[in-house]
Amino acid sequence: MKRNILRTIASTSFALVVMLGAAWQALAQDTKTAYPSMAPLEQYLIADRNAEIALARSAAPESISRDAEVMVLGRQGYETAVQGKNGFVCIVERSWTSPIDDPGFWNPKGRAPICFNPPAARYNVPLTIKKTELVLAGRSKAQMFEAIEAAFDKKEFPALEPGAMCYMLSKQAYLSDSDPHHWHPHLMFFVPLMEPAVWGAGLPGSPVVATFTDTQERMSVFLVPVAKWSDGTDASMDQH
Amino acid sequence: MELKTLKTIASRSFTLLVVLVVACQVQAQDAKTPYPSMAPLEQYLIADRNAEIALARSAAPNSISQDAEVMVFGRNGYETAVQGKNGFVCLVQRSWMSGIDDSDFWNPKLRAPICLNPPATRSFLPLIIRRTELILAGRSKTQMFEDMQAAVAKKELPTPETGAMSYMLSKQGYLSDSAGHWHPHLMFFLPLTEPAAWGAGSPGSPVVGVFTDTPERLSVFLVPVPKWSDGTDATMEGH
Repeated sequence: MKRNILRTIASTSFALVVMLGAAWQALAQDTKTAYPSMAPLEQYLIADRNAEIALARSAAPESISRDAEVMVLGRQGYETAVQGKNGFVCIVERSWTSPIDDPGFWNPKGRAPICFNPPAARYNVPLTIKKTELVLAGRSKAQMFEAIEAAFDKKEFPALEPGAMCYMLSKQAYLSDSDPHHWHPHLMFFVPLMEPAVWGAGLPGSPVVATFTDTQERMSVFLVPVAKWSDGTDASMDQH
Repeated sequence: MELKTLKTIASRSFTLLVVLVVACQVQAQDAKTPYPSMAPLEQYLIADRNAEIALARSAAPNSISQDAEVMVFGRNGYETAVQGKNGFVCLVQRSWMSGIDDSDFWNPKLRAPICLNPPATRSFLPLIIRRTELILAGRSKTQMFEDMQAAVAKKELPTPETGAMSYMLSKQGYLSDSAGHWHPHLMFFLPLTEPAAWGAGSPGSPVVGVFTDTPERLSVFLVPVPKWSDGTDATMEGH
């Protein structure tokens, strides 16, 4: 998810994103990427369960993530490792939540910590779980997307609610092979399919630096970088 | 709207806001403020129409505001000064967009430039216009809030549309006597939503505040961003 977004529309103030946007526009195909197919499952797993819990929680400030449900990836898919009580769900997404054209779709190094707020959790977590089930069942990328689209057509997923958003403030994230791998701390806002221009996304000087319109998942995602990582340290907006 | 929002919930990282929260909790009444009632209308007007257009546009980067409709405030309310073509509307809010307990509610110095995106233009701009009409018709603050509440109950005013948001990135804004221009920020308009649903006001959260406006049945979440509309850096620790 995150990686695709970075490649879609970029503000001129974010050189990294511009670079990634160019990569996206090239519509890289699997055969041209360093990750043409799924790596052995072990490479996507985090051996230390507590380390994965901590990484998932690093997506949001401790004041939010400490009461969030935490899910971790195992050989059978995502499972709840810590029960939550504030409605947020923190999870480390893997590369297959990227879109179909993303050259990093099978990148086993990808680690995208994310804390969904309650409305986003109700929409996005079932999607991530379903995608993961399909991948672990050996479905190809194309098959996985076909299955997701079919599930949407059958209304097997809940509707996207107003106010769905998430935190991605982890300095430990690995969002792409480009340096810096963690990009910027940012919030993401999920809305039904919407033109980027409706938010002024990607226009010069806009703090809404990017958007991703995911046709399979029938939503648009808007990205807004913020000033600090979840640990309170400053993000240098002009370094990249 | 914006002004009250600033006083509602604050992150620990924003000392200024903490101060304002305390001020809000005191529930200052009109009699205790420097602005107990409406000042002469002239004090809320900007004589130079072009200056008001420029101030309104300063709420968003030029790439957005250059194609936005611009409305200016006159003796008969807001009117379109510049036609737009991107669906955004930029204008300068006056003090009566504040909450009922806001000590700056009648502050004539207040200037809050805002650029509303198309969904917010359809669902929030009507609230600005209606409030302004009521004030200019001589309604008291209490009456205005009662009228707004009644209008919402009768569904005469829209509820926040999906994706409604706005830009408030003007360094020339004057949001209150305490905050000045505060920080550049985005605002997100939602039907009534608990602050906790966004983690708003939690320590370390970039969603530093929320305003839940009971008369108008909406919530507005605030997210400061690093730069003003002119591209200069905002010093986040400056306050």
